[in-house]
Amino acid sequence: MSLFFLRRLIQLIPTLAFILVVVFVLVRLLPGDPTSAILGDRALDADVARINHDLGLDRSIPVQFVLFLKAVATGNLGNSITLKLPVTTLIAQRLPVTVMLTVMAALMSLVMAVPLAFVAALRRDELADSAIRGTFQVGLSMPVFYLGLILLTVFGARLGWFPVGGYGDSFGEHIYHLFLPAFTLALSLAAILMRNLRAAIIGVVGAEYVVFARSKGIMPGVILMRHVLRSALISTVSLFGLSVGTLLGGAVITETVFAIPGAGRLMIDSIYGRDYPVVQGMTMALAVVVSLTFFLTDVVEAWLDPRVAR
Amino acid sequence: MKMVASAALAAAILVGGSISAYATDRGGVMTYGRYADSLFLDPVLNDANVDIWILSNLYDTLLLPTDDGQGVQAGLATEWKVSDDGMTVTLKLRDGIKFSDGSPIEASDVIWSLKRAAKPDNGIWGFLVSAIKDVTSGADGSIVISLSRPDPSIIPALTVFNTAIMPEKLFEAMPGKDDAEKAKAFAEHPVGSGPFMFQSWERGSTMKLVKNPYYWAMGDDGKPLPYLDGVTFEVIPDDATRILRLQSGELDGAEFIPYARVAELKADPKLDMNLYPSTKIEYVTLNVRPQVDGKDNPLSNVKVRQALNYATNKDAIIQIVTQGVGSPMKSFMSSATPLNSGTGPLFPYDLDKAKSLLAEAGYKDGFSIDLLVLAGNQDETGIATALQQMWAAAGVKLNLKQVDNATRTDLYRSGKFSMRLGAWTDDIADPSEITSYFAYSPTIESQHSGWKSEEVDKLFEQSQSERDPAKRTAQYARIQEIANAEGPMVYLYESPYPVALSKKVKGFIQIPLGNNIFRAASLTK
Repeated sequence: MSLFFLRRLIQLIPTLAFILVVVFVLVRLLPGDPTSAILGDRALDADVARINHDLGLDRSIPVQFVLFLKAVATGNLGNSITLKLPVTTLIAQRLPVTVMLTVMAALMSLVMAVPLAFVAALRRDELADSAIRGTFQVGLSMPVFYLGLILLTVFGARLGWFPVGGYGDSFGEHIYHLFLPAFTLALSLAAILMRNLRAAIIGVVGAEYVVFARSKGIMPGVILMRHVLRSALISTVSLFGLSVGTLLGGAVITETVFAIPGAGRLMIDSIYGRDYPVVQGMTMALAVVVSLTFFLTDVVEAWLDPRVAR
Repeated sequence: MKMVASAALAAAILVGGSISAYATDRGGVMTYGRYADSLFLDPVLNDANVDIWILSNLYDTLLLPTDDGQGVQAGLATEWKVSDDGMTVTLKLRDGIKFSDGSPIEASDVIWSLKRAAKPDNGIWGFLVSAIKDVTSGADGSIVISLSRPDPSIIPALTVFNTAIMPEKLFEAMPGKDDAEKAKAFAEHPVGSGPFMFQSWERGSTMKLVKNPYYWAMGDDGKPLPYLDGVTFEVIPDDATRILRLQSGELDGAEFIPYARVAELKADPKLDMNLYPSTKIEYVTLNVRPQVDGKDNPLSNVKVRQALNYATNKDAIIQIVTQGVGSPMKSFMSSATPLNSGTGPLFPYDLDKAKSLLAEAGYKDGFSIDLLVLAGNQDETGIATALQQMWAAAGVKLNLKQVDNATRTDLYRSGKFSMRLGAWTDDIADPSEITSYFAYSPTIESQHSGWKSEEVDKLFEQSQSERDPAKRTAQYARIQEIANAEGPMVYLYESPYPVALSKKVKGFIQIPLGNNIFRAASLTK
């Protein structure tokens, strides 16, 4: 079992290395360079050349890559070209915000999806089932930025229950500020998870071992928790793990609409600004987060179904 | 040159701007919603409007721009004089001025700051003060700026952000091996002498400024400005969210209101929807080189360029894109730029004239051409689709190429474009900046268009050291006459800065150069 996890962890290394190389090269192949992007239309050739030289961007990509690797080995991811701050500082500032948003959204989607999936599955094709599926269908098909604005208008500006965007200063305020954006993100994921789990439960409820357990007179609640939920969750857990990447992608839009200073917004700004060091550093940081989520998903799956780890 | 102003005159101008029937309320923190965060708070080494437009609240300059953005008034200096030969500027510093940490502003700080701004290869704004040869202090403590040539724009240049006065000792004590590294450290917690001082900054989210207790200017109650205890900038990139926060009372002001929502906010009884006069212009840059990408370029023919101008219904574009708040251009520079010589809208819409000009140029059946448009930018998309329809009537097929900003800048700078949309605002109350970029070919080949007029180049060079204002005005009139008629542009519109404020806010202004001025802002209790 632990060998399985070790192997999984080691597999992450080549994946991350591959991502690093691809990002390093791709971002440099984009038209334009950071200097032109910063200085804009008014830049004089001499200024651009001087700054490119100062930044070492006038060297060949392989040379830049070797220098970058050397710096990385000492824990230095370079400085942001636009913000003039160390990339590690930026990651430390921005990544926790996005991770917190994503975690909150993930938890909210589970809280919504799991109970409702049971209701929908056990009341299959009845009114409750249709209502739940219908509501989620709307949530799923509504673009994140639009849903976010509606929630902001109603619960923020009109009712005043929540702040209109921002992030707050303390941990409590962070949770309060992130509630609406996390809910916005959670809704579409909850819809997918709910549908998946509902189908899985329907499949499991009809399985022979459940019928057998029921015939033995085991309490329905115990059957649901011990037998149905556990095996129905397996596919939902892997779907959930895979969705974290999507959730992070959605966070980019959510952070813009809700004015949250997270990694997503920084990433977008950095790509537009051709801020190579930030794009590289942030991609790596996000890749680590996603990879760790996959790893955790594996762990949970193995716990639910020990055959996975064999 | 009569560029002398007495302290009394300067004070009169100052007070005149803020006279009111009853006393202004003091106190309170004004929260202002910005579309993007600042990047780098160094006056000399910054390179973006997000910095430039707020720097004057932190750093004071020797002179200040007037509220109409066209003149100058006293700042840290109370008197200024250009010598008769135009080679020296002498300024008298205000008595008792201090930085926001309480330390006195010495002549040495001024000398050091101006030299740093004028140092070649230090940042990208040095061209504004390239005439400065040396800065010294006179026996009476005055500041003496020696020039390498007479420079008619040197006085307005002393109001520009890059000539802000910084504390030399504090800056030089920063860690780092050179100016750039010290600037990075200093800009993390800058100290200047503007009406506000830096308190804290959470990147991408919030910047807090608080009242500078040592600021020199007086309010209408006879006590020092600013009225506010502080200004907090909140970064809210999404337009709709920024407006929502203003409407919910979480913000006292919000910048860059989309034109489409101006009418709605004007009708809101809790808000003041302001349209501040600006130097902002929108235009199409035309590449005039004989060939682009190895193909013959119709835009190299001046008649084709004029035809496109006539085929453009500016009033319709102003209605479509700015909901009527813009106005047609009268010259390549904005109406708020000094020495603008425009009298009426350029190239009034005339489709028949456009067609006949195209026929004369040998394009009776029109041609097909590409236009670079900033992807996702609502204004540009609106302009581009309108142009597409308008020009189709003259037989010109416009292909819209959506690109991101860095890509467009790259194509622009390398001259590998046919047409692009562009916007510009001045940084100095003088026509030389825009002219050097738009019409004088040695700077960037007239917007990288390849357009060159020997006469314009010569006139511009003369005007750069012309000491007689009347002659300089005449030189600029001729430059505009040539460039407006033959230049590499399609003229679209000028537009104001749309800023919505809570009705509680008084005395805030965004001047035509873009600077957000909070020093006389107050919140009514």
